Amino acid sequence: MSSRKAPLPKPQASASRLRTTTTTKRDSLAAELERDPQLSTAKRQQRAHALNTTLSQAALERKLASAETTRLQLETRLRERDTTIERLEADRRWLSEREQEEREEKVRISKEREEEKAKAEQDIRSLRSSLSTLQEECADLQDKYDALSHSTSQRLAAQFAELASRESQVESLSAELREAHEAATSHSAEVLRLQTSLDAHAAAQTDLARREAEEASWSVLRAELARQAEHTRHLEAAHSRATAELSTLRERHTAIEVLREENRALERRAAAADELRETVVRLEAEAEAARAEREAWARNSVLDTPATTPVSITQSLSVLRLEHAHLLEEHGADRAALREREAELADAQAHEADARATADVLLHANRAAENRATRAERVAALAEREVRFLQALNASYVSEEATQGSGDIDEAKEQHSKDLEVLVSEYKAHIYALETEIQELAKRPALEHSSGLQALRDELANEKNALQEAQRALDEKVEAAEQDRDKIEQLEQTLFELRGEIGAGRHVPPGVRVLSLVANPAQDWADLRQAALDRLKEENAALLQRLSVLEASSIRGGRASTSTPADVSTATATDTDTDTNVRDATTGPSSMTAAAEELVPRASWTAVCQEKAQLEEELRQKEKRMLRLRQVFAAKTAEFREALSAILGVKLAFYDNGQVRVTSQYDLGAAFVFQPAPRSAGSGGGGAARMQLVAQGEGGPQELPQLMRNWVEMEQSIPCFLASVTLECYDKWKREQEMSVRE
Amino acid sequence: MAPTKQAALRQSITLKGSTDLVTEFFKYAVNTILFQRGVYPADDFHMVKKYGQTVLITQDLALENYLEKILIQISTWLLTGAVTQLVVAIISKDSRTPLERWAFDINLVEQPSQGTGGQAQSNKPEAEIQAEIRSILKQIVSTVTFLPIIDEPTVFNILVYTHESADVPANEWVDTDPLAIEASKSQQVKLRSFSTDVHRIEAMVSYRYEG
Repeated sequence: MSSRKAPLPKPQASASRLRTTTTTKRDSLAAELERDPQLSTAKRQQRAHALNTTLSQAALERKLASAETTRLQLETRLRERDTTIERLEADRRWLSEREQEEREEKVRISKEREEEKAKAEQDIRSLRSSLSTLQEECADLQDKYDALSHSTSQRLAAQFAELASRESQVESLSAELREAHEAATSHSAEVLRLQTSLDAHAAAQTDLARREAEEASWSVLRAELARQAEHTRHLEAAHSRATAELSTLRERHTAIEVLREENRALERRAAAADELRETVVRLEAEAEAARAEREAWARNSVLDTPATTPVSITQSLSVLRLEHAHLLEEHGADRAALREREAELADAQAHEADARATADVLLHANRAAENRATRAERVAALAEREVRFLQALNASYVSEEATQGSGDIDEAKEQHSKDLEVLVSEYKAHIYALETEIQELAKRPALEHSSGLQALRDELANEKNALQEAQRALDEKVEAAEQDRDKIEQLEQTLFELRGEIGAGRHVPPGVRVLSLVANPAQDWADLRQAALDRLKEENAALLQRLSVLEASSIRGGRASTSTPADVSTATATDTDTDTNVRDATTGPSSMTAAAEELVPRASWTAVCQEKAQLEEELRQKEKRMLRLRQVFAAKTAEFREALSAILGVKLAFYDNGQVRVTSQYDLGAAFVFQPAPRSAGSGGGGAARMQLVAQGEGGPQELPQLMRNWVEMEQSIPCFLASVTLECYDKWKREQEMSVRE
Repeated sequence: MAPTKQAALRQSITLKGSTDLVTEFFKYAVNTILFQRGVYPADDFHMVKKYGQTVLITQDLALENYLEKILIQISTWLLTGAVTQLVVAIISKDSRTPLERWAFDINLVEQPSQGTGGQAQSNKPEAEIQAEIRSILKQIVSTVTFLPIIDEPTVFNILVYTHESADVPANEWVDTDPLAIEASKSQQVKLRSFSTDVHRIEAMVSYRYEG
């Protein structure tokens, strides 16, 4: 490389020498020129040619050298680039590994999340399904409950109605009972009355017996006694009848205590009748005693003769007999009355029993009749339905007949009528069976009603229990539903939180990619920052290197303090020492770059270069803008000028030094140059720039000096001056025009 | 002219129409967020009338281009139903930590395959949809009252959550970090939502709150 570079200084030196010679010989050449112009010219041309060749050669060699250095620089740069690229590659590999790890980590986390979420979703789903089933169950139970309550209310109503009917029955029965009570009391009163009358009769009888003991109508007495005994038996029979009645009553109304008490009272009365029997026995004993006395009396009368019998006794006897007969009559009347009463009583009892029996019979008959009536109604309804059916059938037959015509329909009719008859007979048999069943049912004792009522009550209680259970189940279900609702709320809260997780970006749902545009603002910012950082780092590293080099050199310098500054500079120089020397000799940007490389690190240099490029770019933009603005300004100015010339009739030209040339449109010769007067010079300035007339053109109207004196010097009004000049010019122009037209 | 317009009003909104509506909403929502959260200087925005109210739209050319690019892609994804969420993440410039995440969940109300048969479904008038969008934008504006004040320079990024099967332009879009906010420092507020007959957009803001 150096071998190629070595000859470089020579042409340079020769060129410089040549240059000097040419410059020094110019005078002599000129002298020669004066002497022999032709020879000198040829020689000059030859020399100039030689010079040009040498110059171009030198320039080419310079170019070659510079190209070589550039190539070297580029090679070094390329090496640097390669190292940088390798470093970056290593960094990138490391970063990619890190990224890989991170991704794996991410994938793992996302899987975990996914599993968790799936689990949660499954839970939610199962809970939802269970909730739905529970709700369905709840709805079912509600329906059942409704149905149950409905049926229960219906049953309750039916039972209430039944109860009401039963109550009415009970009322009627109690009314009957009351009647029976009343009858019983009346009967007892009758019995009492009869007892008293019997007592009275017994007393009378005792009196009579005592009195008639002596009169000895024994047979009558016996008969009387027998009759009395018979009466007692009658009474006893009546009593037994009453007792039977009582028992029947008691059988009928076993539940009623009052009747029992009545019965007890009747029994007590039966005991009283026993007492009566005792009295009867006593009376019989007395009657026996009286018979014995009568026999004694008879014996006495057998012993005594009638003559011996005193008249007084006979008289008294006759009186007594009369009395006895009278009493007997009375007794017979009483007994007849008693008989009558007894007969009446028996009649009344029989009548009552008959009446009761008839009432029962009538009740039964009534019920049976009612049943029969309902049955008859049903039968009638059935018959009616049958009739309607038959009518409809008939109608259909008629229509069929109408549509198909007669013929084989008759057979079908007959068959059908037979079938119908069979059907009717079947119906009848069924109805009969049902009737018998109904009768049997009607014959069943009333106890079954009560048992039915009891069954109904039991059923009612059962229903109530079932209802309560259903209510309890419903409550439980409602509670469960409430719990489920709470759970759902919790789950919804969890869901919201999970959504928050997703919203905050902590969880990426499975099967979802998170994408962003490559060139996004954040990335741009990061890149920019990274670039600045890298640049700074590079700069820093280069500076550090430079510092270390300097330190090394200073150490070396310290060691060899006697060495010359030139040596120091060679020591600090790098391996391109010779090149720098060469470059120092040459002049150009490459040498400048090399010098910069020497003093500041490359990184700083590039940074500065970049900055410079940016600034230059900015400058270029600004300049462009400026240019555009200038163009716009020029266009505007031209427009303005045109407007002025059109309005005022003068053309204006502005000079850089501030002067303004005004030329009339009608006379191009009439031109004036104005200059802004200095501020201090303006006497009546008033802020506006005053103009001074500094020059004038060659042409112009003839009255110009006069006008100038008048307007400029005296009035000092340039606008008026210009206006009058314009007027004059216009007149002149017009005249010329007219003249040219005339010619 | 009038009858056709009437007919168009009476028809139910199509997938295309819904996509356009949603895309437009994203444009205004993102602009509103960027203005309200001071990601870009307020001078960069100018006022336009939209949805019957004044909305601020950026004039920054680079930002406009960026948004345009994203919205075109999102529109494509919306048509195929591939996008599930759009997130505007506001990131601190210095620490590069995400400060806020404005998430817009995109739910398909009706599958695109049923779109042709969905004529009988309830047609939501456009005025109602616009009212819903208006209320969301107003809510975004009003969130300034409770969101922490950002007093550091920020930058933003738009993340799009798509299905795995989504068709992604290879060199323009890349998989990226979801820019999550740590659970311990995160607060979230659910915003309003709006729905067309096809899409349902649910908005939510999560923000870093260290207090």
